[in-house]
Amino acid sequence: MTLLSLPSRTDRDLYPALMSPQLNAKYPADHKAFVRIDVSLRIYWHTLFDICPELLELSGPDGMSIFRPFMAWAEEKKLAFDWSYYLWVYVWLRQSPFKERLLADDKYLRSIMAASAARWAILDRGRSRGIVIGCADTTDLVIGWKCRNVRLGREIELIEPEEPLPAPPDLFGYFTLPSFELDIFPGWQSLAR
Amino acid sequence: MRLGFNFTLGDTYDMAQRLIGEGHIDYCEFLIDNFFCVDPDELAKAFDCPVGLHIMYSKFLEADRPTLVDFAARLRDYIDALNPIYVSDHILRFSHEGRAFFHLGEIDYSAEYESVRDKVVQWQEMVGQRIHFENYPSIMDGGLEAPAFFERLMKETGAGVLFDASNAVCANRNCGTPFEAWRNVIAKAQHFHVAGYRQSLIEPFISLDTHAEALAPDTLAFLQNFRSVFDKSGATMTYERDDQIEFDDIVVDLKALRDLFGQPEETRHDLALTA
Ligand SMILES: [Fe+2]
Ligand SMILES: [Fe+2]
Repeated sequence: MTLLSLPSRTDRDLYPALMSPQLNAKYPADHKAFVRIDVSLRIYWHTLFDICPELLELSGPDGMSIFRPFMAWAEEKKLAFDWSYYLWVYVWLRQSPFKERLLADDKYLRSIMAASAARWAILDRGRSRGIVIGCADTTDLVIGWKCRNVRLGREIELIEPEEPLPAPPDLFGYFTLPSFELDIFPGWQSLAR
Repeated sequence: MRLGFNFTLGDTYDMAQRLIGEGHIDYCEFLIDNFFCVDPDELAKAFDCPVGLHIMYSKFLEADRPTLVDFAARLRDYIDALNPIYVSDHILRFSHEGRAFFHLGEIDYSAEYESVRDKVVQWQEMVGQRIHFENYPSIMDGGLEAPAFFERLMKETGAGVLFDASNAVCANRNCGTPFEAWRNVIAKAQHFHVAGYRQSLIEPFISLDTHAEALAPDTLAFLQNFRSVFDKSGATMTYERDDQIEFDDIVVDLKALRDLFGQPEETRHDLALTA
């Protein structure tokens, strides 16, 4: 395919490709449109593997055996890529050839839940102060707190409750906290795509 | 020209304090929506200097009205408590068909002008305040239309432009937007950003607004060549650094900016009064 068949004057012309390795491959590698899309894709990559580097133990150092099929699957499912980005990676891994190794060590799940909690705490602009994430694969909970003090950043807590909450109906569930206190359990919400 | 530093999260608090204490900066720019859970009065006491408020995630071009009204109400509490020098936001695209960009997108300046203009008017009304909108570090050739877009936007909405000088340098390198094309925008702008950029890892190289390096020679040359257009009474320039945050390196850049613009009038005036 030649570039002439693909509009690339504005950044907007490239929007669909900015999250699609398959579409990126349709642009000639010597054109800046290709590089611009590559820059965008690298950020999805780094957002995943810089924060959850243990996933590279599963995939190998370039991460591509996870990254490429995950991004294609995410495109099919039209995932929003909101704070739950990491949780969806886990959902994908769990039905992939990596499943057995993934489930053999709970460090992967812990890292993934913490990453999503942190992403919520950094990016969410609603009024909630914290988020609690639960998973059917563990009774542990991960909480992400937004920045509550000018000297602090967001904070992530791992909780091993003495009396576990009921498992979320889907693989993952979450609820948000209106104050800086874990004092309610309003029930699990399912992830939005 | 008053110089400032971008304060985005608590881990640079001590450094920002030191920059103020040693006189390297005259004000702080809060990435304000990162602090929406900190009490406004507590935030007002955080630094003993004037502040600017920079909004990152209003997503005012994409969010629905109730969400924006609620965002604006919370922002208003901070404006009232902190009495900022300015309030700024971005002309950016955060998502496409409901899917989030992790590297934010540039709008299509000609195709989207009218709708952006209307949203800017509405957003300023909701916040109850003039807002200064930041220019994008263009990569694609649509960036050639940015200067005329911002000029028209200012004229037709009363909005200001928060002119990011190094974003304009990136645009110049990536799509050839001439510095001269920005002259009217710079002349009308009161508030500025500047930072380091780096090149893409693969060729053909493009320049990326990364906020992690020293100021580049062409950025300093641009400021030098347009010095009198930038500098004016009430002007501010925020040095942005989000990665590789080393005090000594930052001070080197801030000193270069001080050398270029001189001590701000406001400070000289204060010194004269207390002398
Ligand atoms: Fe900005
Ligand atoms: Fe900026």
